[in-house]
Amino acid sequence: MTGQTQNLYHNKAGQWLCYIALFVVLALVPVFGAEPFQLNVYSRYAVYAMLAVSVSMVWGFGGILSLGQGIPYGLAAYCMGATMQMQYQTPDDPIPSFMLTNELTELPAVWEPFWSTSIGLILALGVPTLIMTIFGILMFQARLAGAFVAIMTLAILNAFYSMAQDLQPFTAGFNGISPPNPFTAFGVTIDPYSEMLYWINLGLLALVTLVSKYVLQSKFGTIVQATRDDAERVRFLGYSVSYFQVVVFVFAGLIATLAGIVWVMTVQYVSPTAFETPFSIYMVIWAAVGGRHSLFGAIVAAIVLNYLQTELADISEIWQKAWLLLLGGIFIAVVLLLPRGLAGLFEYLLGFIKIGRRQAAPGRIAAN
Amino acid sequence: MSVHDFWTPFSAGPFFNALLLGFTLGAIWLLAALGLTIIYGTMGVINMAHGEFIMVGAYFTFLMQTEAGIPWLACLPLAFIGVAIIGWIVERFLIRYLYARPLDTLLATWGVSLVLIQGVRLIFGGEPQYVAVQPHELTQSAELGFIHIPWLRIFILGATLALAAGTWAILYKTIYGIRVRAVMQNKEMAAAFGINAQQVYGMTFAYGAGLAGIAGAMFGGLKTVFPDMGLGYIVEAFLVVVTGGGHLFGSIYSGAILGELNSVFSYFTNSTFARFVLFVLIVVFLRFYPQGLFPEAKARR
Repeated sequence: MTGQTQNLYHNKAGQWLCYIALFVVLALVPVFGAEPFQLNVYSRYAVYAMLAVSVSMVWGFGGILSLGQGIPYGLAAYCMGATMQMQYQTPDDPIPSFMLTNELTELPAVWEPFWSTSIGLILALGVPTLIMTIFGILMFQARLAGAFVAIMTLAILNAFYSMAQDLQPFTAGFNGISPPNPFTAFGVTIDPYSEMLYWINLGLLALVTLVSKYVLQSKFGTIVQATRDDAERVRFLGYSVSYFQVVVFVFAGLIATLAGIVWVMTVQYVSPTAFETPFSIYMVIWAAVGGRHSLFGAIVAAIVLNYLQTELADISEIWQKAWLLLLGGIFIAVVLLLPRGLAGLFEYLLGFIKIGRRQAAPGRIAAN
Repeated sequence: MSVHDFWTPFSAGPFFNALLLGFTLGAIWLLAALGLTIIYGTMGVINMAHGEFIMVGAYFTFLMQTEAGIPWLACLPLAFIGVAIIGWIVERFLIRYLYARPLDTLLATWGVSLVLIQGVRLIFGGEPQYVAVQPHELTQSAELGFIHIPWLRIFILGATLALAAGTWAILYKTIYGIRVRAVMQNKEMAAAFGINAQQVYGMTFAYGAGLAGIAGAMFGGLKTVFPDMGLGYIVEAFLVVVTGGGHLFGSIYSGAILGELNSVFSYFTNSTFARFVLFVLIVVFLRFYPQGLFPEAKARR
């Protein structure tokens, strides 16, 4: 690499500029004085964008099509929901009301740790990570790949979904847990409709994107992308493919975990829908439409698609229903015609600019 | 919830009944997985819209019953034809362009499933519909001592076995089947011998979709009919295919084994917990046998 790149799209400085511009624009949103309710909706988009980044990491760069990003997301959300619920409970009134209606007479042992907010947070981070690690080791040591991984992740996601729905005394079943008060940490109450929450979500999104970008440009990230392109060749070069796959799987899971934690802070609610199959596949759709090989594209697509969905739902009920039809159509078209998503289209278009210049300076072709 | 409520103690009669029910459950999963097996085994395509083909088959049956008054048994072949045509269209205008990218067929067919679910919801609404099973005797249960099994489930067991046998006969006893197996083994070589591989793929996909249509017509009678119903079958169907190794006999055995295991676990605990345990067991099983129960046929795919 001499610093002369063929396509403007691959210009590193240009890429960083795009990311900076994106986050500056997103950071300016509250400055323009959004309504508290609207701000909360935007905070949700930040969570969706994190999930798209998570899928982009594991699928776009790791080559692992996981339809189960809802597993770490949902587990973290339930841990967080329990933590926030226990912040409301007092030693005099230790049992959440949904447990009383399910005829529990004492707090179940699995709920005891959530008395402490810090232990609750540690569990919210640790439980999904542990499960994703075990799951990843099981799958990737067996050299499962491609569609098999997709089906395995889907199956485990479904298993958690039915558990969350069925274990009513512990999870409030279909109704889900809705903690009465906003999350409080270190004496600070984080109001879901405040600018502070928006900053937290956006800050986490920026952090996650930055770390992901950094990881991708490191040697580790290069090897991960090599396992995506040709796992067998990487294995022959002496690398342990399963190690890299497990790590990137867990890393992407961690991003989804963070998304699950802030999601419950944002909506004060967690239900089995977190484990629903369609939701996990929507994450894949966002990443696919934006461009599976582009974190930037994934973030923008997640925000734009969800914005469109909300706006259309506001127009009328027919549009709300037609949206999914439209989303399915968009997805089919992208998979068929634009496998690299909108970012790929952008890359293609930028390529034209460069060709024009290159023809003006013929000596460059040989140099490249 | 104490341990005692959760754990059902063993008793011979009900346990034996659970074993029999397990076979009928395995048959239901196998019926859902049959078309998927054919499509995956022949073309290597993961058809995520298969559950929605089942759903469309159920709505098709519902429509023919309410609008045309066709008896349920006559609806079964009609559902096959109706959904097979939809499958043929999907293959012709979508899947055909994605054979070089197998993982992308999974995504594209998910797009199809989204469109089908939402399309049906727009047309029929989200409320559940009912398919009337005729003759009426099928809705009752077979009672013999401690045995207590709905006739419809026994009917589905028989129909599934008949369909599996029919599929086997087509694959191994007809000229068409020889062509399919030739394309399965080596598409280019088969094409060089004058077999229209494109047409074989199209027909195979249509046939697999048609099987889903029949499944839908029967499941519609078993449970209610609603736009999301396909999601309830697709995961189990995929697991049957994957555990079996992606071919007809593997799916038959794995369908029976998984159905039995689920039924036995359900007997001792409850159906949700059984589902969880079974799914985790399958993941652990595939850790040690990634090729499924019958790996030798995988190379022939």
